[in-house]
Amino acid sequence: MTELDDGYLEACAAEPIKIPGAIQPHGALLVVEPETLKILQQSANARRLLGFDVRNDALLPAYEEATTLCEEIRGWLSGGENTLFYLVAVGSQQLQLTAHRSPQGLLLEFEPPPRPGESTLDGLYPRLRDFLDRISGAHDITSIAEEVAREVRAITHFDRILLYSFDGNGDGTVLAEDTNGILPSYLGLRFPASDIPAQARELYRLNRIRLIPDASYAPVQIEPSISPLNGLPLDLSQVALRSVSPVHLEYMRNMETASSMSMSIIIDGALWGLISGHSRASRMVNAQIRTACDILAQVVSLQIGSRLKASSAAERLELKSVETSLLSKLSVATSFQRGLVNNPHEWLRLVDAEGAAVVVQGGILTTGQTPSERQIRDLATWLFEAGHDVLETNSLASIWSGGEFLSEKASGVLAVSISQIRGDYIIWFRPEVVKTVAWGGDPNKPMESGAGRLHPRKSFDLWRQLVRQQSKPWTSAEVESALGFRASIQTLVLKAAEERAELTDRLEAANKELESFSYSISHDLRAPFRHIVGFAELLSDKEKGLDQKSRHYIETIRGAAISAGRLVDDLLHFSQLGRSQLLKSNVDVAKIVNELRHSLRTETEGRNIEWQVGRLPIGYGDPAMLRQVLQNLLHNAIKYTAPRDPAVIVVSGHEDANSTTYVVADNGVGFEMKYVDKLFGVFQRLHRAEEFEGTGIGLALAKRIVERHGGSISAEGKVGAGASLTFTLPRPKDLKKRSS
Amino acid sequence: MPDLRPILLVEDNPRDLELTLAALAKCQLANEIVIARDGAEALDYLAARGSFEGRPPGDPAVVLLDLKLPKIDGLQVLEKVKNDRHQRQIPVVMLTSSREERDLVKSYELGVNAFVVKPVDFNAFFEAIQDLGMFWAVLNEPPPRPFTNEAQ
Repeated sequence: MTELDDGYLEACAAEPIKIPGAIQPHGALLVVEPETLKILQQSANARRLLGFDVRNDALLPAYEEATTLCEEIRGWLSGGENTLFYLVAVGSQQLQLTAHRSPQGLLLEFEPPPRPGESTLDGLYPRLRDFLDRISGAHDITSIAEEVAREVRAITHFDRILLYSFDGNGDGTVLAEDTNGILPSYLGLRFPASDIPAQARELYRLNRIRLIPDASYAPVQIEPSISPLNGLPLDLSQVALRSVSPVHLEYMRNMETASSMSMSIIIDGALWGLISGHSRASRMVNAQIRTACDILAQVVSLQIGSRLKASSAAERLELKSVETSLLSKLSVATSFQRGLVNNPHEWLRLVDAEGAAVVVQGGILTTGQTPSERQIRDLATWLFEAGHDVLETNSLASIWSGGEFLSEKASGVLAVSISQIRGDYIIWFRPEVVKTVAWGGDPNKPMESGAGRLHPRKSFDLWRQLVRQQSKPWTSAEVESALGFRASIQTLVLKAAEERAELTDRLEAANKELESFSYSISHDLRAPFRHIVGFAELLSDKEKGLDQKSRHYIETIRGAAISAGRLVDDLLHFSQLGRSQLLKSNVDVAKIVNELRHSLRTETEGRNIEWQVGRLPIGYGDPAMLRQVLQNLLHNAIKYTAPRDPAVIVVSGHEDANSTTYVVADNGVGFEMKYVDKLFGVFQRLHRAEEFEGTGIGLALAKRIVERHGGSISAEGKVGAGASLTFTLPRPKDLKKRSS
Repeated sequence: MPDLRPILLVEDNPRDLELTLAALAKCQLANEIVIARDGAEALDYLAARGSFEGRPPGDPAVVLLDLKLPKIDGLQVLEKVKNDRHQRQIPVVMLTSSREERDLVKSYELGVNAFVVKPVDFNAFFEAIQDLGMFWAVLNEPPPRPFTNEAQ
C-alpha cells in the first residue's frame, strides 16, 4: 500500500532491489578499498557534490580536499563502530558523511549539510527528550503510535504520517495517523501482505530508514556497476541513497505524492510495523533529522515491544484467572461438560471465542455462535482421524475441505483433544473476520481516477479477498490457555474417575460385608427359632396332661418363634433380591396369574371371591421374580378383602410401545392415601398385627423387584373402598429393534 | 427289604442334634444312628480310622450332613466323599439352616444327593427328616456293595 516500495505484483519479488546499480540524486556515493582508501566505484554525481575531481583507482588520501575526510575514516576504521555518521569538511564545504563497511569496500555516502534554519540533531535533542517522557507514560500501543506519528510529522513536515503494523500473516493495519489534511486519511485501512514482498521486508529489517525526497528523480548511475573487489554488482542494502523500484515510483505518482520516507519498527528482530510519511510536494529531510527519526523509531520499537510483552503477560494472567474460576465451577458440576454449558461466558472468554462446543462420546453440547451439531460432529471426526491433538487455525477452510461450509461461524478453530482413545474434543470457534472489520478510513477520495491497479482502495479489496474464510488469529496466550485448560480438565476427569472407582470399591466392600452379614444371619439367627419351635413341640408331646392355659403358653411360644423365623426368611429373601441376577425373558403373565389363583386356593377356601381377570399382555422380565410380585399382590388382595362377601379382585393390563402395565384392584379394606408412601417400605404395616397377619415385606419386595426391572409401582386406595396396585415394566429396547 | 446299614448324622449343634434325633426316633427306623460332631469325625468314620478305627465295616445308608461344621465344614466333607473312589456312591443329604443360593449351587456342583433347608416349624422339620430317613434308609435301593465289603 503506502509503502509499496519494491513491487506490487509477484513478479516484482524477483526485482534486484538490493542491486539497482544507481542512487537517488540528493547525495553522492564513493566506494573505497578499506586499506589504501583507493577509489573503486563512484556515483556519476560525486565530482559535482564533492567539489573535486575524484577518479576511480586513485587513492583518496592523494586529494588534498579529502585530508580531513581520510583522517575521520581511518579513525572510524580503527574503532569498532559499524557506521560512521559525521559532518565532515570536504574541501571548503561541510558534507554529511555516512559510512558503512561491506565486502565490496567502504560505502561512503555524502549529502549536503542541514541548510540554515533546518533542524539538526543537537537542536532536536530537547524535543526528543520530551517525547520520550510522553510515550513512557502512554497507556497502550495505539496511543504510542499516535504520539510518534504526531512527533515525526512535527520534525519532518510531511503532509501525512502513518503508523501501521503487520499481523501474523503479514497483513497490515493502519494504527495511527497524523495529517495536515492535504493527503487523504488512511486510518484503519487494511492491506494484504503481498503489497510488500518478502525481500522488501527483509530490506526494511536491515535498513531501518529510507527517504525518497522526489519521486520524479533521475537515478544516478554507479560507475562501474560491478565491484572490482568481487566482480559482483554493488550491493546497496545499507545505502540510504539507494535508488528504488520504478514500480514504487509509479505507485507514488498514482497517489499524487512526490515524497516519502519510512522507518522500520523492529521488535525482537522481526519487522513489526512501519512509520511512513508522504507529501504531495517533494520534501528533503536532512540526514540529521533522519537520524533523529531513526532514534524515535527505535525507542518506539522498544516501547511497543515492552507493551506487547506486558499485555501478553496481562492477557495470560487474565486468562488464567478465568480458567481458575471456571474450573472451580466445573469441579462441583455433575459433569465437566454440564459445567461448561452452564458457564458459557467464561468458557468463551478462556480463548476469546464467539462459540464453543464440547464433544464427549458422540454427545455434543454448545454455546454461542457455532456450526450445526452435524457439522461439529464431522469436524470432530476429521480432527480425530487426522490425528490432531491440538488444532489452532484461523482458516479452517484452508486445511480442511469441509471447513468451507463452516467459515461464517467457524473460520477460526481452536480444538484440544481430551481423550487418547476417542474423538472427544473441546472446540472454540471464531467467525470470518470480514464480517467483523469495517472500512476504517475514508474510502471515497483517494485516487479514484486513473489510479490503475496500484491503489490503496484496490489493496483493501484485495485484502478483503485474501481474508475470506479467515478469522482473527489465536494469540499464543490463548492457545496456551486452551492447553492449560485441557490439562486441568483431564485432571478433573481423572479425579472424578478415581473418586468413582473409590466409591465403587467402597460399595463393593459394603456389599460384601452385607452379604456375609446376611449369610451368617441366615444360618445363625434362624437356628434358635427352629430350636424354640422344636423343643416347644417336644414339650407338648411329652406332657399330654397339661392344662388348657399351659398349652396356650406353649402354643404362643411356638407361634412367636415361627413368625420370627418367617421374618428372618423374608428379610433374607429381600436382601438376596438386590443381589441375584435377573434372567429376563418374555413372561406369560396371564398364565402366572392363573397358576397363582390355583396355588392360593388354601387361602381362599370357604371365601366368596369374584375374580375378574382381563387380557394381560406378555411382559418382559425374570419369570420367577415377576411371579413373586404377582403372588404378593394377589395375596394382599385376598388378605385385605377377607371381610367382604363377595370379595372382588380385578386383574387387568395394557401395553404401549415402551411398556406393559398390570393392575390388581380389590374391594377390600383399602388404606388412607396419606400413608401411601409407607405402603412400600420394609416392615411397614398399615394394620394392626391381629387384623391381618404378615411380616409387612410383601409390597417392599414387589417394589424392589419392579424397580430392578427398570419399572415402577404405585398404589391407590381409600379406606373401606379397596385398593389398586399398578406396576409397569419397560419393554426391551433391543428386542424391539431386532424385530423392526 | 429295608436297608439296615447305619445312618451317619453329622451335626455340631447339640440342640439340632437332639431335635433331629427326636425326629428320627419318631420314624421308628431300625437303622443305627451314628453321630459325628464335626467334619473331621465324619471323614474318620467313613474311612474307619481314628476313634472309629475297627468299627463294623460297611458304608452308611445315608449321610445327613450339616453345612456349617467346625474344623472341616459340610461342603468340604461332601467334596472329599464325592471325590473318593470308594465313597462317592454313599448318598449325602445336605441339611442346612440357610437357603443361601451359593451353598445350594455349590452342593449340587459337588454332587450332593439332596439339599434340605431345615424348616423353622418343627412339624415341617419332622416331616422332612422322616421323609429323608424313609427314602434313603428304607426305599432307596443301594448300589451293589463294593467288592471289598462283599467279603464280609
